[in-house]
Amino acid sequence: MTTLRAFTCSLTVPQYGIPFYLQYLAHWPEYFIVAEAPGGELMGYIMGKAEGSVAREDWHGHVTALSVAPEFRRLGLAAKLMDMLEEISERKGGFFVDLFVRVSNQVAVSMYKQLGYSVYRTVIEYYSASNGDPDEDAYDMRKALSRDTEKRSIIPLPHPVRPEDIE
Amino acid sequence: MAARGHVQDPNDRRLRPIYDYLDNGNNKMAIQQADKLLKKHKDLHCAKVLKAIGLQRTGKQDEAFTLAQEVATLEPTDDNSLQALTILYREMHRPELVTKLYEAAVKKVPLSEEYHSHLFMAYARVGEYKKMQQAGMALYKIVPKNPYYFWSVMSLVMQAISAQDEKLAQTMFLPLAERMVEKMVKEEKIEAEAEVQLYFMILERLGKCEEALEVIRGPLGEKLTSELQSRESKCMMLYQRLQRWPEGNALASKLLLKNPDDWQFYSCYFDSLFHLIDQSWTEEGEGFHLAMTFVEDRIKAEDQKETRQLRGPYLGRLELIHRLRERGCPEEAQLGEPWDLMTQYFSQFGDKPCCITDLKLYLHLMPPEQHLKFIRGLGEAVPLGGESEEEGGSVFPEDTKALQRHLCVCQLSRALGLHHALSPEGKLRVIRDLKAHYHHGLKFGEESMAWQGIGLLQEGLSHSPSNAQFKLLLLLLYCHLGAFEPVVDLYSSLDAKHVQHDTIGYLLTRYAEPLGQFAAASQSCNFTLRFFHSNQKDTSEYIIQAYKYGAFEKIPEFIALRSRLNQSLHFAQVRTERMLLDLFLEADIVLSLEESVKSMSLTPEEDDIPWDTLRDNRDLTVLTSWDPRDRWEHRRASMEEECLWLRMRSLTLRLLAALTALGRAHQQQNSLGSENGVGDKASVAARLFSQLEQALQSAACLSEKRSQYPFLGPPSTRLAAALACGSCQCQTSALQLTVHLQELETMGLDESTELQTRICNTFKSLVIQLQEMSNKCNGDLLEMKDSRLKTQPSLLENLVFFLETMSVVLWVASQCAKVIRPLKASLQKKKKKKKDTNTATPAVVCGFQVLTGGLQEVLSQVLEHIKTQELGLTALKLASLTLEPHTQEEESFIRAGMDKVHSSYLRSLQELGDLLKRRAETLKTLKI
Repeated sequence: MTTLRAFTCSLTVPQYGIPFYLQYLAHWPEYFIVAEAPGGELMGYIMGKAEGSVAREDWHGHVTALSVAPEFRRLGLAAKLMDMLEEISERKGGFFVDLFVRVSNQVAVSMYKQLGYSVYRTVIEYYSASNGDPDEDAYDMRKALSRDTEKRSIIPLPHPVRPEDIE
Repeated sequence: MAARGHVQDPNDRRLRPIYDYLDNGNNKMAIQQADKLLKKHKDLHCAKVLKAIGLQRTGKQDEAFTLAQEVATLEPTDDNSLQALTILYREMHRPELVTKLYEAAVKKVPLSEEYHSHLFMAYARVGEYKKMQQAGMALYKIVPKNPYYFWSVMSLVMQAISAQDEKLAQTMFLPLAERMVEKMVKEEKIEAEAEVQLYFMILERLGKCEEALEVIRGPLGEKLTSELQSRESKCMMLYQRLQRWPEGNALASKLLLKNPDDWQFYSCYFDSLFHLIDQSWTEEGEGFHLAMTFVEDRIKAEDQKETRQLRGPYLGRLELIHRLRERGCPEEAQLGEPWDLMTQYFSQFGDKPCCITDLKLYLHLMPPEQHLKFIRGLGEAVPLGGESEEEGGSVFPEDTKALQRHLCVCQLSRALGLHHALSPEGKLRVIRDLKAHYHHGLKFGEESMAWQGIGLLQEGLSHSPSNAQFKLLLLLLYCHLGAFEPVVDLYSSLDAKHVQHDTIGYLLTRYAEPLGQFAAASQSCNFTLRFFHSNQKDTSEYIIQAYKYGAFEKIPEFIALRSRLNQSLHFAQVRTERMLLDLFLEADIVLSLEESVKSMSLTPEEDDIPWDTLRDNRDLTVLTSWDPRDRWEHRRASMEEECLWLRMRSLTLRLLAALTALGRAHQQQNSLGSENGVGDKASVAARLFSQLEQALQSAACLSEKRSQYPFLGPPSTRLAAALACGSCQCQTSALQLTVHLQELETMGLDESTELQTRICNTFKSLVIQLQEMSNKCNGDLLEMKDSRLKTQPSLLENLVFFLETMSVVLWVASQCAKVIRPLKASLQKKKKKKKDTNTATPAVVCGFQVLTGGLQEVLSQVLEHIKTQELGLTALKLASLTLEPHTQEEESFIRAGMDKVHSSYLRSLQELGDLLKRRAETLKTLKI
């Protein structure tokens, strides 16, 4: 039981720098949703954007960040927030929703699989360490939306790609 | 920056290499290339600007500015120059110059959509709302695109928000904005969702809820599709404001049927229903019945579900009991006994970590005599698992779910104030135990317990290296023992990010300098200031983005965020402390005090602290505490104390700036013969000094009635210690000389006997006060006594106060010399002329010699003391200390903690000794 509302700046989450959040709020405010507990505690938030081109049939919703505080885990909150992001992307006429996740993050990968996402491709050395050295590969996971009736957007690529090859 | 569209343009081709050099950070080559190009093409203005960018980035700001202005005065209209100048001005932090640039450009090219739009954005960057409104309309007239029109409307709204006079907002700006939108509505020109959002914002701010409701429910409202439930939430808000309870209740009920877990609508539902009862829309009994049936139906539906049950309906029932009880309705009994319902809740959700935060809200529904029964009942309702009896009768939780339930029971008994001995040992116990130990240790001032606390926390940290609570507690404990060195690593391993520099940075800046770790203090100030400065700049950029994407609702939010950071108490403190620290470290050592003050652009007249709007952004809940009830009271008291301390520090700083104006005033007087400047300066210093005296008085009052904060509460300021050791008083006496010296400067030496006597008395008193401060530094920082290690961190703090105060006195003394020297010379000249045979030295000159002699003596004593302490500490054999019986592992952690404190003391002493030695050097040169 949760209050879901639009993210406002009065709430400040330290995970990323302030500019990062402002950039999203200025451009895609509807994609920024926070969940609050009845006592007012911040439970978690999701942040995303819409990008791509309709002509190329890759207009889609993207999950930039999804975060749930430890004491509010295992309540299905992440699923609820993902569901909302998908609904927003449906309304915008997106073909699919995608997200990047560390290949080692098995918990997250299996959660996304449960939510209907599948690995579309592997992006080599997508993540880098704080010193700039390549750190880890990412899975680009996708879930087709109703507009993509034949689910063409999620047919897995046969080969991994490099970060510079993705948009 | 290198991305330019038209490759065909020969100028673009010529400029390309310069852009590339700049992009790659090769500024020197960029400058060379620009010079080469300018030799051939004198009027290629953009090359000049690019050269200026190169100069700016290599630290040649003045040259860069001159070059840029050469181009700017020509009022360029080529895209390359304009964009390059925009970049340059932004890097120079001169956004107002960009507006001038484009004002000139649109005058020359009045039909350019691009330049007009740049002009609008330039105004946005500096917050010129009125000009934005005009620029938006000008744009719309050239190119009738809706966004431009609404930029103009939004700028009117911003004028309303920023207007000092709310009446002006309500009667002028907002109605005008409303009419502008209405015009578009009538002409059926509304296109985008953002436009409807903006219309709604205007109506809402005007309090026109009926009209707003009509918009939201009407065809325009259909455009609100991006945000989920946007129309519903807005309707609900308006129903409440309009007190339209029947509609509000129907909507809440509809939304809860759709999502019985959406908590905000439970309170909407109950609120509206109770209002209906109060207004006799519904008969009371019937109304309560309705509410109870509604909640119980939601629960039934939930009970029947196979999959994950939602918490909403069950908590909704508790909320209803709470509300019925508030109204004194006996009907609440029909919903059940709170303790029973909460036990049920626990059996359903007790394995979720959030169970405690949920139930905490309703624990007050149980009378105290039920508490014990309730807690015992929880154990019975859900066995904690694990049958294995350990020695001592402890039971271990069997799996993580049982562990979680166990934790929840512990938390509930804590929250109920039952200090229960029911917990078996487990992983979680470690955390609580550590805290208990450490709490205990502090409550009784038993230092051996504090060491034990450190040992346990260090041990805990070795098992859970990322536990933030362990780190924070350790950090605090080390600081209280006066050891800052280990804190540096602890804090950096917390990985505090971004806005946390504002919210928890106080943990660091409160202790670094006061504990004698000046290098670390410098570094932490720098981090913090970098954060604040970069955010000021960034926020403006995103305000512009929000205009571009029509996220109008976000613009006031961004501006509020910027003010929140600009008005932060912590920001003001760090700014002030950073400057003081720079002076302590460098003034009259690396640079003269005067040069140091000048390089910080510090002036006595200017107060850069927004006293009336200072905000306390500190996160005082970052340390988990058992007793959150007093926190607000402590916060208020702490804020008052912090502000007072900040005021004293800032006044000290400004008086030091006034001090440096002394010598200058004298030179001015001689060369220009004008006394106006001197008079103003004198009054500024006198005013600042009387403010400082007032602050000192308030400080004395405050410290008398000062409440002690709990260990996990806000840290207290240095105020009490500064008063106790005499630092505030002595610095104030020294700074009073600023005022006296100004008087002496105007009076001269031959007609100021009384004033000179006063000055000499102050000189004497300064030596006495410093001697007393030095006495308060005596004693052993660290002492081994009958197998105990005893610390006296206050001695370290006093040494820092001594250093600060000695520096202030020396700066004042040095300015004294500067003022007296020419006065003495002119007196001698006069005497020669008059053939006066009285060769007695003026009183103030004699007094000054006594002062320097006295200072010399005190300073050598303290330096000697520091040397002795350093030798003593180095000789101390901590390994020979016999500790109370512990396991070998425990002992090793305690010893490691002791070593850290020991090493930290040594470093602090060394930094203090080095600085004092350099101060002693400056003392040698003090002569008239």
